[in-house]
Formats: sequence, C-alpha cells, structure tokens
Amino acid sequence: MVSRSTWIARSPMPGRGVAAGITLSMLSAVVLLPIGALIWQGVQFGPLGIWDVINRDRVWAALWLSFRLAFLAAGFNLVFGTLLAWVLVRYRFAGRRLVDAAIDLPFALPTAVAGIALTTLYAPNGFLGGLASQIGWKIAYTQWGIFLALVFVGLPFVTRTVQPVVEEIDTEVEEASATLGASRLYTMRHVILPMLTPAALTGFALSMARAVGEYGSVIFIAGNIPLKTEIAPLLIVIQLEEYNYNAAGAIGLAMLGISFVMLLAINLVQIWSRRKIGHV
Amino acid sequence: MHIQIDQIAKSFGATSALHPVSLSIPQGALVALLGPSGSGKTTLLRILGGLEFPTSGRVMFDGQDATNMSVQDRRAGFVFQSYALFRHMTVFDNIAYGLRARPRATRPAAAEIARQVTRLLDLIQLPDTGSRFPTQLSGGQRQRVALARALAIQPRMLLLDEPFGALDAKVRKELRQGLRDIHDETGLTSIFVTHDQDEAMELADMVVVMSMGRIEQVGTPAQIRQTPATAFVKDFIAA
Amino acid sequence: MSDISHPTRFRRASDDSPVARLILIGIALGGLGLLVAMPLLVVLSQALAEGWGAALTSLASHDARSAIRLTLLITAIAVPLNAVFGIAAAWFITKFDFRGKAFLITLIDLPFSISPVVAGLCIVLLFGANSTLGGLLVAGGYPVVFAVPGIILATVFVTFPFVARELIPVMVEQGRAEEEAALTLGASGWRVFTTVTLPNIRWALLYGTLLCTARAMGEFGAVAVVSGKIRGQTATMPITIEMLYNEYLSVAAFSMAGLLTCLALITLTLKTGLELRHADALAATRRH
Repeated sequence: MVSRSTWIARSPMPGRGVAAGITLSMLSAVVLLPIGALIWQGVQFGPLGIWDVINRDRVWAALWLSFRLAFLAAGFNLVFGTLLAWVLVRYRFAGRRLVDAAIDLPFALPTAVAGIALTTLYAPNGFLGGLASQIGWKIAYTQWGIFLALVFVGLPFVTRTVQPVVEEIDTEVEEASATLGASRLYTMRHVILPMLTPAALTGFALSMARAVGEYGSVIFIAGNIPLKTEIAPLLIVIQLEEYNYNAAGAIGLAMLGISFVMLLAINLVQIWSRRKIGHV
Repeated sequence: MHIQIDQIAKSFGATSALHPVSLSIPQGALVALLGPSGSGKTTLLRILGGLEFPTSGRVMFDGQDATNMSVQDRRAGFVFQSYALFRHMTVFDNIAYGLRARPRATRPAAAEIARQVTRLLDLIQLPDTGSRFPTQLSGGQRQRVALARALAIQPRMLLLDEPFGALDAKVRKELRQGLRDIHDETGLTSIFVTHDQDEAMELADMVVVMSMGRIEQVGTPAQIRQTPATAFVKDFIAA
Repeated sequence: MSDISHPTRFRRASDDSPVARLILIGIALGGLGLLVAMPLLVVLSQALAEGWGAALTSLASHDARSAIRLTLLITAIAVPLNAVFGIAAAWFITKFDFRGKAFLITLIDLPFSISPVVAGLCIVLLFGANSTLGGLLVAGGYPVVFAVPGIILATVFVTFPFVARELIPVMVEQGRAEEEAALTLGASGWRVFTTVTLPNIRWALLYGTLLCTARAMGEFGAVAVVSGKIRGQTATMPITIEMLYNEYLSVAAFSMAGLLTCLALITLTLKTGLELRHADALAATRRH
C-alpha cells in the first residue's frame, strides 16, 4: 500500500509501463545507442589519436569556418529576424499573412533543394550572382555563399521566438515612455529592444546551433575548397567515403562537443531570460 | 457508505501534505472539509477518490480496505474544481460517459442510457441542454452538469472539490440548496472541500476543520461555532 | 476631426513614423524576396526550362520513380514511428511525476542540436560492416548501412523530437483533470486515451506529424551518409537531386526539386491553416 518506487510517484493514470517502455526503448535505440557508438569509437581511438586528427590545418580550418560563419549568419538573423517579427506583428500591409507563412519555408523546404536553388541564383552565371559579379562581388563558391545558405536555414528561429514577445508587449508601456518625453527612437532602444533581447538571443542560439551542423544547403554553394570553403560536416563525409572511420569519428566528436556547448548555451540563455523577464 | 480514514499521511518529496489523520464518516452524512489553501483538504479528498495514493495509512469503505482499490472500481462520484467536463463532447455525451465506459456485460442499452441521461438532466433542471457543448454553458450550469455526470455512474459516495469555488455569490447560494436537495434525495455519503466557512456551516451536517495537513476539529456546525477546539479554529471561523 | 484641419494625421504614441514603417517593411520584403521568393522561382523556372514535357519525362524515368517510391516508403515508416513515440513520450512526461524529467526532455530534444551528418556517422559506426553489431547483421543478411533500414533509422533520428515537442506543451496546458474525471467515471486506460486525450490533442498531433513528414521527405545530410547512394535502390529524392545536379542534368534535378518544393508549399499551407483555425489547440511557442 505504500508506494515502493521513489523514482516515479504512484499515480492512478493508466499506461505508465507502456508509455515509459516505448519512450525509453525508442530513445535508447534511435538516439542514445548511436551516439554511444560514436563516443565508444572515440574512446577506442584514444584522446591522442583524436587530437592527431583534429590538429591538422585542414580540420581546424573547417571547424573554424563552420563555427565562425554559423555565428555570423546567426548574428545577421538576430537583427533581420527581430526586424521581421516587429514588422509582422505591428504593421498591417498587403500580403502580410503570405510573408508570415513564407518565413517558415526554410523549415519545410528540403535543404538539398534550397542548396541547388541558392547556388543557381547566386552563381556567377545566375541571375543575382551575375548582377553581383558586375561589381566584382563573388557570392557562390566563396564564404559569402556559405553565409547566405546559413542565413537561409536559420531564418525562422529568431522571428518565431521574438514574435510572441512582441505580441505581448503592452502598448501602454510605450505610451508611458512617450508621456515622459522620450522620442520614438529612444523608446525603441531603451524600452522595447531590452524586452525583446532574451527571446532574440534564444533564437540566435537556436539558429547558430542549426547552422554549425548544416550540410545539405551548404555543400552545393560552398565550392568545397580545402582550407577556404570546406565545412566540417563535409570533412566527415569525405573521411567516411575513404572508410577512415577513426578520423570521421574524431571530427564527429569535435562537432558533438560543439553541439553540447550550444545546447548548454541555449539553456543558460533561457534560464537567464526566465530570471530577467519571467518567460522566454 | 461508511468511510473510515485510518492514519492517512501523504508527502510530496520532502514536504508533508498530510500528517497522519484519522476520521470516520457515517453513512449518508454531508461533510465539509474546511480549511485555507494548503491545509491538505483537497489531497485528502483525492486520496478518497483514488486519484492520489497515501504515503501511509488505510482507507476503509464499509469496513473493507480500499486503500489500493483502483480509481475505476471505487465508483466515487467526483466533481472537480473546474469541473473537468470533456470539452469536445456535448452535455449529453458527458453525462453518458460513465455508462458507456462500462464493460459490455453491464453496459446499459443505448435507449436506457438516453433515458437515464434525460432523467439526470431533469434532476439538475437543465432539461434542454443535452446537445450543447460545455463552453456554451454558464458556470453554474457547468457545475450542475459535472454533478449529473458524477451521479450517472450510480456512485457509492459523492466527492466534490470546491464545488462552488468558481461561481459568483448569487449562483453559489442557489446551487448550495441544489446540492443539499440532491444529497437528501440520493442519501449518498457526500464530502465537499471548501475554504468558505459560511458555505461549510450552512450546508454540512459535519464540518472537518483542517490546517497545515492536520485535522483541527470535527463537529457539527453548532459545536464548532460554540466551542472552537483550537486557537486556529477560533481565528478561522471569526474571519 | 477632418484631414483638412489636421494635415498630419493623428499618430498614436505606440506607432512608428510612416517613413520608418516604409523602410522596415521594405527591408523585410526585400530580404525575404532575395532569400525565399527568388530561390522558389529559380526552382520552378529551371524545372520548366525545357517545358513541361521534359520535366515530366524526367520524373517518369526509372530512377526518378524508384527515388519517389523509396522516399514515400521511408516517410510511411518513419512518421508513424515518431508519432507513436511522440504520443508515448508526451503521455509519460505530462501524466506522471518522476525525477529526471527535465533531463529526459533534453535527451529527446538532442537530435535537433546534432548535425545530421554526425547523426548519420553515429549510425554508420553502430551498424556499419566494420562494427561488431553491423558485422553480425551483414553476415546474417540484414545490412543496415547502405540499405533501407539505415535510411529509416537516420530519418527517425533527425525527426525524433517533432511530435513529442509539439504535444508536450499542449498536454501540460490541458492538465490531467479530464483524464482523472474519466477514470473516476470508470473508464479504462485505453478508453481514457482514445475518448478524452486523443480528441484534445488531435490538432497538435496533426501539426507535429505534418512538420515531421516534411522533414522526413526532405532529409539530406543524415541520409547522404548512410545511404551509399545506390541508384534505384538507396537513392531517396533529395539524394537523387544531388546526383542529377552533380551530373549537370539541370532539368531533371530541378524537376524533382520542384516536386519536393510543391510538397513543402502544401505543408506550409496546411500548417498555416492549422495555425489560423486551431491556434488554441496548438503549442503556444514553437521552434523547429
């Protein structure tokens, strides 16, 4: 009659065994076991072996490129995405609903499709790439191309996290600011943007986490020149094609490490913003 | 039904919601569990209904140990604080739910279910609302539908969690009498939770005053008013 | 008040100046035009560069049809698996109190934070012919990597959190009271689920399944690693697009891309429709 298990509180709700069974077994089989295999590969290979693989110019260059461009693209999305959220919530204009729906296209469009479309558009012989090349700006097959692809895949994150916050802003706060003599610009900078910052930073971190590991939309437009436009996920694919599992595993572990750091960063941002504002 | 609560305690992690409490509720009584929020009254009610399990102690129904009886087998007509009506079902389907959920062998035929639901709708004086959805009803009407839904399973007792909590003062007064009438008509042992001492005193035959997971006093409304057993009871009924 | 006596119309304190509005809307539309609208037009114009006939012919080829069939097969297996998982996980997490719940949610979300290529790599390392487990499976005649099971596994991995993370906030918000009420009325567990829970979560379930389907059909990185890219056998639609594009078969590549684009647009339309009509039945915040 006294509940035996202290791990899970006794409850009259049905299906505990079935639900827990499906959840834990699928989680283990699909996610944890494969990740465990990667970590086990690293353990067998040893830290020295991993370091040998990572500590090559080509690998450093690829990891640094993926990280840096993901950061820059997320930064661009931080600004552009916040602007989009503001425009979509506050302004009424023809086609607003269409624009709102279009922001999710990067979630719905397969990355390979986005990749070949962006490449064709921004290649030197493409429509926009041709225009850019007239002023000597090469986009596709340079780091600009990678940046563009990463902006595309990360586009919705900031907008979708900031939008609900803009909706919740009580316009009385802005009116109060105005009655105290603040200009509109001052109100924007000192009242509204601080309210949006936590959500925008969460979106930034999500956008960056996505961009660091992005593959499909990037490889077509990147040009994939070692040391210059070769991203880290592509290096893994190249190592696998040469059946070099140790090297692939080492780079994979490095990327997994970056993912965990990003995940930690996202959680910290959310804890910080919850403390500050009370919600995300 | 006679309900015996024997040294029931409940803790959530490190916090104790109920220190061991014991209480005997005679057949057919209308009992109020009265206390401020956090006094453990709702936890006690949910333990009786089988929605929560005690950390220690026993619950006896008519002398039989019911501590581990499943919530389905208890047939406790439970009225939830915000009614928990099934929002996607009509009033009729809400009331019929418990009859339709019976195993095939004991499930009444559709016509019989319809007859019983109609009778219950008459009892709660909402005869023509069967085809409406819960969101189309007023708060007081929802409360009565929740009561009818609980009565439909021919419960062995009636457990009500703040049955008037979400209603405004005028409706509250009307429905108090409604609950009294239904109790007198069915003769069911009924226990309701409330933080409103007027409500407890006016409606109940027996009032159980609770505070901080303990029972402070058990008695008739008159006894509690005239001879409060503890300082807490004195303060609480004076408020 | 008339516009004649007040040539500048009254502007509320919370409104931006018309010039600012114009500039911000201009930036928004311009940016989305360059990033979203133009690429869509490129897909369609490239697919139809040699007319409808050429596009349809390329889609009717043997390899194209087998790619479409494979993608449909994988979606048909991966999406129901994830729907079942999502329901079970959301039920377990929202209907029970246990220690480590936050950690469990983090683990479920993990695939969103991991590069699809790393996901594919993990599966290769676990089931590849050089691993113990993979060696046994290959010897037994059940290869996983460079075969359909591996593609399914990779797809389930990358879409793993979709349904669960849509359902969990909705079920948290709806609480347990209706299920408890059904239990006190004598309903069995299965009956509670099918008659009370399922009707309340159906739109959220549909929404999560929809996003899961879109991602499952379009997954590239993880599938590219495990598929082996065998034409007619393990080449999904996105993989086929890559192969055709690298062979400079532009019309064929973009025809297939166009097909997937149409599916993406249908997904967006359905998604927007759900958000408009059933917003109250969906999770309030979402990020995918």
